[in-house]
Amino acid sequence: MDATLLVQMLLGALLGLSVYLPLACGQLSLATPGFYAIGGTLAALLSTRVPALSGAAMAGEGGGGGVPIYPLSSLLLEMVLAALLCAVVAEGLGRLVLRLQGIYLTIATIALVEILRVVSLNLEITGGAVGIFAIPQPFAAPTGYALFCLALLVLVGWLCQRLAVTRPGLAMAAIRDDAIAAASSGIAIERWKRLAFVLSAVVAGVSGVVAAHFLNAWNPRLGNFDASITTLAFVVFGGSRTWLGPVVGGLALTALPELLRPVGDLRLIVFGLVILLGPSLFPQGLITPELLTSLASRLPRPLQRRLGMDRGASRNRRTPASDPPLAAPSSPGQAPAEVER
Amino acid sequence: MNPTATPAPSPLLAVEALSRRFGGLVAVDGVSLTVHQGEIFGLLGPNGAGKTTLFNLISGITRPSSGSVHWKGVAITGAPSHRVAALGMARTFQNLRLFSSLSCLDNVRVGLHRHSRQPKLQALLGSRTFQQREENLRRQALDLLDSVGIVELAERSSASLSYGQRRRLEIARALAGRPELLLLDEPAAGMNTTEKGELTELIRSIRREHQLTVLIIEHHVPLMMELCDRLAVLNFGRRIALGTPRQVRHDPAVIEAYLGSASQSVAGAAAADTPGSGPVDQEAGGEGRS
Repeated sequence: MDATLLVQMLLGALLGLSVYLPLACGQLSLATPGFYAIGGTLAALLSTRVPALSGAAMAGEGGGGGVPIYPLSSLLLEMVLAALLCAVVAEGLGRLVLRLQGIYLTIATIALVEILRVVSLNLEITGGAVGIFAIPQPFAAPTGYALFCLALLVLVGWLCQRLAVTRPGLAMAAIRDDAIAAASSGIAIERWKRLAFVLSAVVAGVSGVVAAHFLNAWNPRLGNFDASITTLAFVVFGGSRTWLGPVVGGLALTALPELLRPVGDLRLIVFGLVILLGPSLFPQGLITPELLTSLASRLPRPLQRRLGMDRGASRNRRTPASDPPLAAPSSPGQAPAEVER
Repeated sequence: MNPTATPAPSPLLAVEALSRRFGGLVAVDGVSLTVHQGEIFGLLGPNGAGKTTLFNLISGITRPSSGSVHWKGVAITGAPSHRVAALGMARTFQNLRLFSSLSCLDNVRVGLHRHSRQPKLQALLGSRTFQQREENLRRQALDLLDSVGIVELAERSSASLSYGQRRRLEIARALAGRPELLLLDEPAAGMNTTEKGELTELIRSIRREHQLTVLIIEHHVPLMMELCDRLAVLNFGRRIALGTPRQVRHDPAVIEAYLGSASQSVAGAAAADTPGSGPVDQEAGGEGRS
């Protein structure tokens, strides 16, 4: 597997997570490609139009073949700016559209994607239908991108894992299951929905920045309705109940068309069949919480604890009778010691 | 104005001329009532009398068309339900609204939501203090499950519970918010006579343990007569009676409109719940006439 495909797969996984986050609290948003395009366009514009960003590299003269390498700090700056821009847009848009329920929210997010596409198609600064070319490269080889994307995916995945096991995750699951009961339990549902929407936008925007550099060119077709459906397929295929599902879905469905290249034109048919059969054989997606729990219970105990999975696994084994003595000595025993120090 | 009429501290909950229209239907029509600290207040009425709508208006799920709701003398009319919950009001639902993908324990942990805030950075990094506090919350949730008698089901999915167990779980989740006022919407619906007896005991014991005020909707007349300090009776959205169980069951309007004037219509109205309710209602009707 070459590094170029790996980068595409990792970006797919990131976009899968971007669709997953609002879905974790029951909101089907298809706005991910819109924010991806905001990030991509921003990166393309900044890196080609602002000499100061690439200026520092000229002096450094790194990389092989005499091609100037775009400074990593500028890439990171673009990512921060894209994250901020996407967060602001998502926050504002969220206030408007997150009041909509179900399919109406989805339609509103499709509208956003289309508006952004049509606007960038007609603006001169974004290069119209041709797009923006010769976006400078922060990495000399695809391997660099792959490592960078992997780091980004690990970061976002870790964030999703922490969200899932803490108060926000519980609040989001409650909203997904029953919004009225969640609100009656004191959960400010609008706020949590907006948080998920903003996080989703930030992940998509940041991915767009990396993608723009990686692809070397950016055009409005990269963020269209087709992309909305593709990213949704990642989540449907991989499973929407854990963050690992969209990651697996994103990796697999991005890789599949390339891996099927040897079978020639048949590959599109095979790809279609996989998309069709996946959800019918695994209605919950490939990765479900039940699957993870059963996998985790086979891991060695210390590793389970490290992964924060021991609680879920041990819960099932712990009988109520043994519960108080088990729980009692552990934390109260440590707490006073902590205070004394 | 009811609240100002009493010189004593304002009642916990004061509902004043509350109305809600759905198109041409007036579901709740100018209902006023006050609930005082520590009492068990019952809402009685036939199907479609507007009891649940009144609950929804009080708990912020539905906005009233007119009228007002005061909590400890402060207007909370039309406040969203998470705000109402934050003030110290918790409720259960007639049709049971549990979080079906979560375990019983996690359902209660959701109820603890507003008491489970932790410093964000610590939560993100999973520090020792964070984990100790989480363990603490977990134990609180287990205690609550214990107090409603289903602690052994803590790890089970809430979807796998029996009807009575779900009712209990919903009460535990509501208690987790540490409410001052608990709104119970038909907690005994679908329960058999034994379970109803246990439920009555449960409500009494949680009131004692948690120093609660309880506002309860229930069809089962004997249970309400036994449990409640005061009752209001609704019919077609209007309050037709208010008072102690004794006063209410002697109220001619109640006998006429809800229990019916003859014993066979009583059996039709209330005995649908259990066969045991028949004789008691007849007795109630008999006392009313004597």
